[in-house]
Amino acid sequence: MARSARLTAQVLAVAVVAGLLVLLIWRVAHDSTANVSNALDDGRHPTAPAFDLERLDGRGRIDLATLRGKKPIVLDFWASWCTPCIHESKRLEAAMKQYGHRIEFVGVDTKDFSSDARRWQRKHGITYPSVHDGGGDVLAKWGGLPIPRIFFVARSGKVVGELITEEDLPRYLRQIAES
Amino acid sequence: MKRVALVLVAGLLAVPVARASEQHPTQAELEGEVMCPVCGTTLDQSGSPAAEQIKRVIARRIAAGDTKSEIKDRLVANYGDSILAAPPHHGFGLLAWWLPIGGIVAAAVLVGLGAWRWSRAREPPPRAVQLDPALERQLDDELRRFEP
Repeated sequence: MARSARLTAQVLAVAVVAGLLVLLIWRVAHDSTANVSNALDDGRHPTAPAFDLERLDGRGRIDLATLRGKKPIVLDFWASWCTPCIHESKRLEAAMKQYGHRIEFVGVDTKDFSSDARRWQRKHGITYPSVHDGGGDVLAKWGGLPIPRIFFVARSGKVVGELITEEDLPRYLRQIAES
Repeated sequence: MKRVALVLVAGLLAVPVARASEQHPTQAELEGEVMCPVCGTTLDQSGSPAAEQIKRVIARRIAAGDTKSEIKDRLVANYGDSILAAPPHHGFGLLAWWLPIGGIVAAAVLVGLGAWRWSRAREPPPRAVQLDPALERQLDDELRRFEP
């Protein structure tokens, strides 16, 4: 009896250690620092992580995967509480007037209250469609905070770059428009 | 007995307090139970624009007469479960509540079991000592000498 109890305890202990090991391997494999922004920093051009989210204006959903191969995309991560986002979104709105027929402009309202976000869009005259990423799950795959974050995706679905300095905007727009 | 009565009274008093908190939540208590989505702290610890935005939403909903659950449900619908400082009492969140309790109970059982086995190992089983009849007679004689 004592021997079988000891054996059971040993098997349980080994199972717990094995479980923890599996958890560790899973965590390493699903490295939270693996995101589009870091990949670009490493000189890689990953395929844009897909998302399928509801539009802020209530007119259905936007599925990024369905745009792959059809149109290049400018992806703008913003929130109504983010003051610098106003300036960047207005620049993208202006760029849309020039490139809107060749490039798809998509906003991702992130970690934000959707009613405040809609009000913010109206107030600042932003007309390109945005989806709502309340929990920030999509933002995390692209690089996380801080925002604004603006990415450029070629027609093939590969991420070409992230806007770091304002001067790069026309160059990236031309690059993906010709992709 | 007195202690049991005290615990019962405290429990009975806690019920109306919890109900009042659910029906008429205060700004301060909700700010302590809701996370700031960009800073990893509760709202009351943060002055970031995102936290201020949620504080305004909470104030508006309290003024509109929403219950605590309604306000939290609204926030969860918008931001997801991660907006709550404590895990929810349903689904996968239940694990976070019951796992530590299960761990403590299991540890207590293991410690109790170990202590019980240890104490039994230290106590030798009582043995009936049988004296040699001659020796017993001699002992009785010796003891009789001390009797008055």
